[in-house]
Amino acid sequence: MAAEQTKSGSTPQRRTLTVKPTLLGDKVFFGITSFTAYFSIALVGLVLVFLLIRAWPALQHEGINFLIGSTWDDSVQPMVMQIFPMLWGSILLALLGVLLAVPMAIALAYLIEFLAPKPIARVATLLVDLLAALPSVVIGLWGLFVFTPVAEGWSELLHKTLGWLPFFANETGNFSRSPFIAGWIVAVMIVPIITSVTREIFSQMDRDLINAAKALGGGMASTLTRVILPTASGGIVGGTLLGLGRALGETVAIFFVLNLSFDINWFDVSEARGGSIASMILSKLGEATDYEISGLMAAGVVLFVSTLIINFIAGYIVNRAQPWRK
Amino acid sequence: MNLSTATSHLRSEDINVWFGERHVLADVNLDFPSNQVTALIGPSGCGKSTFLRTLNRMHELIPSAGLAGSVLLDGQDIYGDGVNPVDVRIKIGMVFQKPNPFPTMSIKENILSGLKLSGRKFVNGDDIVETSLRRASIWNEVKDRLGEPAISLSGGQQQRLCIARSLAMEPEVLLMDEPCSALDPGSTRRIEETIEELSEAMTIVIVTHNMQQAQRVSHQTAFFLAEDGNPGTVVEFGSTDDVFNRPVDARTNDYVNGHFG
Amino acid sequence: MAQVTQALPRPKQAPWQRRNLKNIVLITLASVLPSLLAIAITVAFSIDGAIGLVAVFLPIQILATVAVGQYLYKKRGRQDAVLMIFTIFFSTLVVVLLTSVLVSVFQRGAAMMRLSFISQNATYISSTTSLDYGGLGHAMLGSLAIVGFTTLVTVPLGVGVAIYLTESRSGSRGIVRSLIQSMSGLPSVVSGMFIYSALIVTGVSHQIGLTGSLALIPLMLPTVARVCEEALRLVPGDLRSAALGLGAPSYRMFLQVVLPAARTGIITAVLLGVARVIGETAPLLLTVNAAANTNLNIFDGPIETLPTFLFRNLSYGTDNSIQRAWGAALVVLFLVLIIFTLARTVGGDKKVAKPKKRK
Ligand SMILES: Nc1ncnc2c1ncn2[C@@H]1O[C@H](COP(=O)(O)OP(=O)(O)OP(=O)(O)O)[C@@H](O)[C@H]1O
Ligand SMILES: [Mg+2]
Repeated sequence: MAAEQTKSGSTPQRRTLTVKPTLLGDKVFFGITSFTAYFSIALVGLVLVFLLIRAWPALQHEGINFLIGSTWDDSVQPMVMQIFPMLWGSILLALLGVLLAVPMAIALAYLIEFLAPKPIARVATLLVDLLAALPSVVIGLWGLFVFTPVAEGWSELLHKTLGWLPFFANETGNFSRSPFIAGWIVAVMIVPIITSVTREIFSQMDRDLINAAKALGGGMASTLTRVILPTASGGIVGGTLLGLGRALGETVAIFFVLNLSFDINWFDVSEARGGSIASMILSKLGEATDYEISGLMAAGVVLFVSTLIINFIAGYIVNRAQPWRK
Repeated sequence: MNLSTATSHLRSEDINVWFGERHVLADVNLDFPSNQVTALIGPSGCGKSTFLRTLNRMHELIPSAGLAGSVLLDGQDIYGDGVNPVDVRIKIGMVFQKPNPFPTMSIKENILSGLKLSGRKFVNGDDIVETSLRRASIWNEVKDRLGEPAISLSGGQQQRLCIARSLAMEPEVLLMDEPCSALDPGSTRRIEETIEELSEAMTIVIVTHNMQQAQRVSHQTAFFLAEDGNPGTVVEFGSTDDVFNRPVDARTNDYVNGHFG
Repeated sequence: MAQVTQALPRPKQAPWQRRNLKNIVLITLASVLPSLLAIAITVAFSIDGAIGLVAVFLPIQILATVAVGQYLYKKRGRQDAVLMIFTIFFSTLVVVLLTSVLVSVFQRGAAMMRLSFISQNATYISSTTSLDYGGLGHAMLGSLAIVGFTTLVTVPLGVGVAIYLTESRSGSRGIVRSLIQSMSGLPSVVSGMFIYSALIVTGVSHQIGLTGSLALIPLMLPTVARVCEEALRLVPGDLRSAALGLGAPSYRMFLQVVLPAARTGIITAVLLGVARVIGETAPLLLTVNAAANTNLNIFDGPIETLPTFLFRNLSYGTDNSIQRAWGAALVVLFLVLIIFTLARTVGGDKKVAKPKKRK
């Protein structure tokens, strides 16, 4: 036996330890679970493959113009399909949404974790979770009939008072169905995810660190800006990116509150012209021709790949910001 | 197969252990004869628990674990080809430092859990429950509440329940990792008595930080030591009486007399 | 300092109580006065409500709070006052928005609540038919059928993934976890397009309930897998060691020890998964044909669901159909609330599963 020959001093031979399941039951058990895992991730690949196959004719025909061109014309043969205004519109909405949602989310997370007494904090947490569970079609309904009239007022007000800024210029006098309103709707949709990630990071922070800052005579404000936010910044950025991903994919809620236009709108947020890839797909897929379907699938590929990348990066950042999660 | 090992029930030969690239145990050769209680003592972090876990193949469950050497049970290498770790753990039972009864099961179900978990057939469940609880000297305390959740018991009772749970499997060897560290003197006393009774039927290896306990319950003692950065080794191994009263190594003398560690 | 031994008279106030009264008065004034003042100014000059809030109330409130903060705690007080106002302002904004959604859905939806709306389907109902006829019974049943089938497929998958992530020792767990995590950001419309391009355009299937169910799977899966993984992770390693130490193979250890301990967590996972997809609209619009009649068979024929019913009525745009949309919103919201409350009560506060109570 090998073990008998080794004497202390010489490096003994390492043995291979059983890592693989040996029993039939275990083999079956781990076989099934591995299958479900691989199947699930294969699903992500399958989505991409099927969309790409469909999208190919349009992508091949339009080339890079699909992304950077601004014409969508079905009166010519073959029709021209270029989605830049929608792409930019999605980005604009996502930026607006994040701009509005981040202060709300940080404030709420701060309130819940550091300021509010337990019962209030618990109710606030519950409300945020509930907000996350609201279907977007319900938000769309509310956005169209309840929020739009109010936000039109805000938008008009901004135009009157700050109209000299290019953002709030409005030549038509029509303030409904604008990126401004849709941006708010997006913000409502993504506040919960940013809040919950931020809150999680806040809640895991070292209380001693915070108390030490306070003991050194720092007020709440300087503790927040000097200690809490720098420590939590990774998590907040990650949470914001997650929100950004959601914002890009938001479909039904935006569909009702935004006027889609291929006339590109760079930053006149109160004009009734905007873009959203997801809403465009929804509005056009119903009565699309075969070739147009191909273009819409290509738009879907763009949407999918961009959200996938954003989410992947976000997940990486969030996980890095939460080492305790392994 | 080396026949000379057949007389000793359990025996470790040149056990070396790594976690990743870190060498934590070197050349541990110990003999655990039948019906004897062996105490493993030594300062914290010297590898006692790790060694104990190599004895019933719980060690390999840690992802970074590495091992060299062999452990012979009745002369047969438990790490040998074709030996099923599950069978090894059935023969060599283990009691952990922290009581860990199954919280979703009743007291009775906990006792029978090992049999069910290892897929063994059994006919007279109630008898097994009673015998095991009696051997762990907890029967009188729980006989009227067998259906209650196991975690309704006190810490000391839970630990004796865990011993009873292992006994229901009728192991040939029982490994105990600081079984009394979370317990009051009364519970400790009872577990020590239990150990003494059990040693008539099985081989027992117990890790303890309590020198008095080692002297009270064990027949032989092994002193482990890991000196700054070196892997842990057995510095002294012999009858408990010798190790505590006539230690050969000066470091053993220091340790058992409380001069360091 | 010489008189240390002499007993000091007990101070009337403990040190930490000393400025209490002044503090309370000032802080109360700072929190009440500005709003009163702002209301007064807004009304007196008949200023628009929104301007009043932002241009009158906020500045006054900030000034008042900063002044009190400065007076009481100097620079630290000033900064904290600003922080406080912003925190409360933005938090209130979220609460107001959410409350507005809930209240308007309850108010406008309640006007639609009647037995016929719940129990009838929409056969022969047009967008102008009187509200006393027709309902969304068929949509509720359709949602039940479609989401039910999705759940049936997704739960085993999601639990399987969670087991893989917690129990196996495979080296690819990290990458699987990341991919599942990024799957949770899959836009729902893309999931619909996937099934549309894979099954419908290719002629494999019509737009039936099944295609809708399949389109919901990638949306539900990440939620189930993630919550389930967390539930399994909460089961202490001690119990696993105990079971393995008794000679249990991994699968028995899982089924008899880990699973019972994680039971409630897994139920929560299922509930949250259902809540995630019950209101999904876009994928169903692409993959399921609308129906006015009741159809429970997801394998054949058009079928209606709650969210698509809501969407279509909203799109018709007549007064009556919009009223129906609000009614549907209330029903969906109600369902979400129920599932949500269930998940909360079952799951508790993310604690380890409590043991079964016995008689
Ligand atoms: N899972 C693990 N991964 C990596 N290193 C480990 C692991 N478990 C133990 N070690 C290391 O192995 C060494 C021996 O640990 P072990 O738990 O066996 O010590 P011990 O003698 O039982 O100590 P104590 O008396 O405190 O229980 C320690 O240095 C420890 O850091
Ligand atoms: Mg130990």
